[in-house]
Amino acid sequence: MIVCVAVVGHQNNPLYIQSFTEEDDALKLHHIVHCSLDVVDERVNNPKKSGPTLNETFLGLLYPTENYKVYGYLTNTKVKFILVTTDLDVRDADVRNFFRSFHAAYVDAVSNPFHVPGKKITSKTFANRVSTIVKSFGLSSAG
Amino acid sequence: MVDPATTPLGKMLLDEITPVVMVLRTPLVEESCLKNGLSLLQMLTPFSNFNSIDVPVRTSSDQPYRLQKFKLRLFYESDIRQPNLEVAKERLKQVITQAGEKDLSELCSDPPQLSNVVSSPESENLPSWFQFFNKELIHTVSFSDHEAFDHPVACLLVVSSKDEQPINRFVDLFNTNKLPSILNDGVMDPKILKHYLLVHDNQDGSSEKAAKILTEMRSTFGPNECHLLCINSSQDGKIEHQDNPWDLYKSHTSPSQHLGCFLNIDDFNEIKDLMQELSSKHIIPYMEQKIRVLNQQVSATRKGFRNQLKNLWWRKGKDDTFDSPTGSMYTFSSIESQIRILGDYAFMLRDYELALSNYRLISTDYKLDKAWKRYAGVQEMMGLTYFLLDQSRKEAEYCMENAFITYLKTGSSGQQNATRCGLWWVEMLKARDQCKEAATVYFRICGEETLYSAVMLEQASYCYLLAKPPMLHKYGFHLILSGDRYKKCDQIKHAIRTYRSATSVYRGTTWGHIKDHIHFHIGQWYAFLGMYDVAVTHMLEVLACSNESKTTQEVFLRDFLQIVQKTGKTFEVLKLQLPVINISSLKVIFEDHRTYASPAAASVKESLWYSLEEDISPSLSTTRSNWLELQSKVIPKKYKESNICVAGEAVKVGIEFKNPLQIPISISSVTLICELSAKSDEIESDSNSSTSELRNDVESQKLTATKDGSSDVSSFTLSEIDISIGGGETIMVQLMVTPKVEGILNIVGVRWKLSGSVVGLYKFESNLVKKKIARGRRKANYSPGNDLKFIVIKSLPKLEGIIHSLPERAYTGHMRQLILELRNQSEFPVKNLKMKINQPRFLSVGMHDELDTKFPACLEKKKNSELSGADGNCSRVPQAVFLFPEDISIHGETPLSWPLWLHAAVPGNISLYVTIYYETGDMSSIIKYRTLRMYYNLQVLPSLNVSFQISPCPSRLKHFLVHLDVMNQTISESFQIHQLSTVGHQWEISLLQPFDTIFPLQSLYAGQALSCFFMLKNCEESISSDKTSSPSCILGNDASLQDSSDMLFDISGSPLADFHHCERLQQRVTPQDDPNAVDFILISRPPKSDTVSGISDPQYIYSHHACHCSTLGTGPITWLIDGPRTMHHDFSASFCEIDLRMTIYNSSDAAVFIRVNTYDSPSSNGQSSDATTLQTAVPTGNQSGWHEVPVLNDIKVASQVLGTQVGKSSLSLDSVSPFIWSGSSATSVQLGPMSTAEIPMKVCIFSPGSYNLSDYALNWNLVAVNGDGNEGEMRQSSGTCHGYPYHLTLLQSS
Repeated sequence: MIVCVAVVGHQNNPLYIQSFTEEDDALKLHHIVHCSLDVVDERVNNPKKSGPTLNETFLGLLYPTENYKVYGYLTNTKVKFILVTTDLDVRDADVRNFFRSFHAAYVDAVSNPFHVPGKKITSKTFANRVSTIVKSFGLSSAG
Repeated sequence: MVDPATTPLGKMLLDEITPVVMVLRTPLVEESCLKNGLSLLQMLTPFSNFNSIDVPVRTSSDQPYRLQKFKLRLFYESDIRQPNLEVAKERLKQVITQAGEKDLSELCSDPPQLSNVVSSPESENLPSWFQFFNKELIHTVSFSDHEAFDHPVACLLVVSSKDEQPINRFVDLFNTNKLPSILNDGVMDPKILKHYLLVHDNQDGSSEKAAKILTEMRSTFGPNECHLLCINSSQDGKIEHQDNPWDLYKSHTSPSQHLGCFLNIDDFNEIKDLMQELSSKHIIPYMEQKIRVLNQQVSATRKGFRNQLKNLWWRKGKDDTFDSPTGSMYTFSSIESQIRILGDYAFMLRDYELALSNYRLISTDYKLDKAWKRYAGVQEMMGLTYFLLDQSRKEAEYCMENAFITYLKTGSSGQQNATRCGLWWVEMLKARDQCKEAATVYFRICGEETLYSAVMLEQASYCYLLAKPPMLHKYGFHLILSGDRYKKCDQIKHAIRTYRSATSVYRGTTWGHIKDHIHFHIGQWYAFLGMYDVAVTHMLEVLACSNESKTTQEVFLRDFLQIVQKTGKTFEVLKLQLPVINISSLKVIFEDHRTYASPAAASVKESLWYSLEEDISPSLSTTRSNWLELQSKVIPKKYKESNICVAGEAVKVGIEFKNPLQIPISISSVTLICELSAKSDEIESDSNSSTSELRNDVESQKLTATKDGSSDVSSFTLSEIDISIGGGETIMVQLMVTPKVEGILNIVGVRWKLSGSVVGLYKFESNLVKKKIARGRRKANYSPGNDLKFIVIKSLPKLEGIIHSLPERAYTGHMRQLILELRNQSEFPVKNLKMKINQPRFLSVGMHDELDTKFPACLEKKKNSELSGADGNCSRVPQAVFLFPEDISIHGETPLSWPLWLHAAVPGNISLYVTIYYETGDMSSIIKYRTLRMYYNLQVLPSLNVSFQISPCPSRLKHFLVHLDVMNQTISESFQIHQLSTVGHQWEISLLQPFDTIFPLQSLYAGQALSCFFMLKNCEESISSDKTSSPSCILGNDASLQDSSDMLFDISGSPLADFHHCERLQQRVTPQDDPNAVDFILISRPPKSDTVSGISDPQYIYSHHACHCSTLGTGPITWLIDGPRTMHHDFSASFCEIDLRMTIYNSSDAAVFIRVNTYDSPSSNGQSSDATTLQTAVPTGNQSGWHEVPVLNDIKVASQVLGTQVGKSSLSLDSVSPFIWSGSSATSVQLGPMSTAEIPMKVCIFSPGSYNLSDYALNWNLVAVNGDGNEGEMRQSSGTCHGYPYHLTLLQSS
């Protein structure tokens, strides 16, 4: 199950963090997302580790914590997407697909002329779309 | 690569893994030593550390090498045992607590900046007690039985010369009962190297007795193993050592005592020599020997192919029996223990190659035996050996990890070992700059013990900081984790320290959730420690937590207020975040020569007022001509730089307060912070003095003012406001300061009290400076609030004005009287009043004597009114600027009332600006005149839609039919149409029918429409230009649309006439007045209330003005055919010849050439197709018209039917028409402007019937007036008019 998705701006400022858990662990998830930025930076600065192709946006598994797996994705505008999941057995292809649709949703959200770049994304449509994507991720991995 | 031995780990290993010497002593020895404040162990320990011992060592190989650094670890026999876990824990906790206490001083300082933390060297960031703690942690697992390097290599037996029977004492000392367990239970060989030491206290007498005992000892124990040590040679105990080697122990004793005070330099050297000899002559050779012996043994049994095979075979057989994890079955004599000892000895003598080979050998054995703890221990040592050999890093790390994991596998007992292993591993990684990996190892060390893991996590965080590049996010995260654990162990000071370090990571970022959490907890913890001041500063950070949930915000605010209460002080906080102040909303309203009647007036753009006042205020109007010269003249330079306000008049500051939270907050005593430095009178009187002088004066005054602050307080008054702002609300707060004395007023900022406990301050300065720079010429782009510095001048008279009974909304046409009331509170009179209104169409100034009149009634036409009165009104033309009479001056109690007239001319939102200029009597003042600005907004709703259609009356020349359409566009209002008037004496208007028949209802209700017809007559007889050119003189003609009992309104009365003039100007289409245009005024009134008429009638009427309604039809000409309508003729005699007269009137101002064409036959080629259709349309129209007639008259029936038959037959037969025009078929005439001509016409009719004589057309051509080329373009220059139907009935005369 995906517990948290986050969009982090190119100055490592949080643009959107949404947790999908019942319990009140927002702080923990904030910390996890914040921490993963170090790994993202590391991946970006050491491109030889970051994958076969130069323009690869999917950063792969950033790091496993005790209960979570954290995946990262970097857009061309240096906006980072972070995915925190409790599924221990996740296929990379699923995560890739997730990020691709998430990216599309993000692009639509920031294309809104009323969105100020660099400010938090407050669009309800975006939030709804993200939760739909998150739900479908759970389904596809289960089935 | 640096030498591994010089790295921190290397040093640590050289310190920790060294031969252990067990010390056994008698109580008397201890007693002698304690004279110096030292125990025997303490006395000896500083000398057991050798930096340049320079001893040749030969181990297994034949090649000797020299040892430089060497160390012996001395322990009492009682300490050689595994430390008690509980005690160790307690001690570690103490270490941490002490460290926490030490840092307390730092807690109050500001947390470090992140950039500084990153750039500063490692040693500064890392708390020094970490090392100490780590060492203590490692010591908790010393003397374990699976490792040999903690096992004593030698034994030092010490007996005092005072002891009785010293030789026996020596023997007794090595009694097995007292020896540590590891020697007894077979873990290590009890036969160890022994050294005998006799201690002689020189204070007890000469050393002769001691020498005797020594010889006795030598004979008993052997000559080499015995020593005599004489101490306490100094008698007075005042020896002070430079670089006291015992300083280390000072903290344990009373600080006044000099440690080693009885030990003189001889004793000093003796101890030193003793220890040197012990190590170089006894311990090292003994170890060398042991290594050689063991090595031979091991080689014999284990080395070589055969032995290995045998071992394998043998091990396999042992598998089933040896399955105990503790591995305690290995005694010192077992070959495994021997190999381990060999390895450890070799390690201690730095023959790492030898050590490694033996460790390798033994490690496989232990693994096969599943003796995990021992296996891990060996793996650990292998790792360290690899490290010290600086060989294969991977191998070293692998061994350490292996050892770490294996230790953890052994269960709780292995936890401590795992910790030690981990610490060594960490150090190993750190030595190789693998900080990131080190951090993960720290993370792995964290066990169940919360306190230890707190320390480990903190160390891990520093590793992330030291990593290249620094991983600051993780640094912060681990600090937070560590802080949480510290908090769980009640190490609050440590918790604060870690959290404070973490703040540097998150400062300046937008991770609000984390930041709030950190600051809130720091604040809470400081409060817990009683440091409320610091707590408050941290709590302030979380106040504006707009992202948090409502409950969290409540908690934050509540805790914050609690802490503030506990401090018992009222805090003054600069830039308190709650509520948020929107500085861009800052708006200053002050009155210098401009005064405002209402706040709304002040918010109007200055440029609007400026344009309105341009021609009434003297300085402004002249500014245009020469601004450079004039500005300096009008206002002294000094005053140009800052704003001017008047003593006793309030300066208003509007600013927005926003509550970012979801919970309401209460804010009390919101006031401005102001400074007013009083100014002496001389400046006032000498306002023209040079700028520099003034400046100096002001500055000196300011100094004195700040000295006695008490005068400040009384010199102005401040308004105070209490508000409560709901969640997410924004409130505009209006604050006032009223200076009482002259001087310079400076508005510094705003202050408020949050929830009655915390005072927030906000200073405006910072952005003020910015604005000042950006500001150009003050007059040019003035906006209030630019400057917060005011020069207060002495009080001036000030007019206050209000317009009474001005409605907020009105229907179009609404006309009423308003009263302008002006007041002057001060005693000084004001004079030279002028007034200007921006919308004269809506608002006009009345005469003073109109004040008492009752409005609608005063307009009513008096029967006996004379024309002269109307003439008087007529002369008054509305002016742009209204000058009040000279003799008017307002002062004191009596207000001035003046009538105004309101007319809501057109629908829409109308802004009415009224500015009143007045001069103050006091000429010495800087401000000579002031203006009162009033602003009202009037919403005008559409009421009646009035439209006129004018068409020339076909039957009469200069008569027009007026079709009036009135539509009530309101939703609920009803109107009573009162009268329709035309303006100008040349027009006469009358109703075609009695109004009652058209419109029996008195009022026009909402949505209703009304149309009625009037006859308009142009009664102008002669063309006289002088009358038409004075349209302002209104003489009208009225048509009453009401009961005759009602009075008609006089449209030449003052407000109506004035407004009509304005309307004329507004509705003008062409620049010139058209003589053929007519102006209408439709007057209606609100319906009379059906209730008792005693209730006052409404004070207003509605008037709708339609100006410049052209009477011209399609062309400039009108004509009329005059002649008989019905004739009797005897057709049997002859055809009938009838004379007709066509009268043509040219209503244009140019000459017209007209040709009249007549057509005899409908099918004649001269007629256009248009005419045909027109003609065919006419008869059908007639036919329908004819149908009504028979009802009236029986006689006509036959003839009419006949007539129509004739008409029809004429059309169908296409034969000769029943009549022909006689005379010329075309007549031409030229007609001058405004003139008439008559053309005789004749028609011959052959049979009786009704005829329509419309078969003619008038072609007209404007004769171009010279120089009027434009005119010709604008108007149609030529055209054709077809004839009107003219019905002629001929009857056969009998």
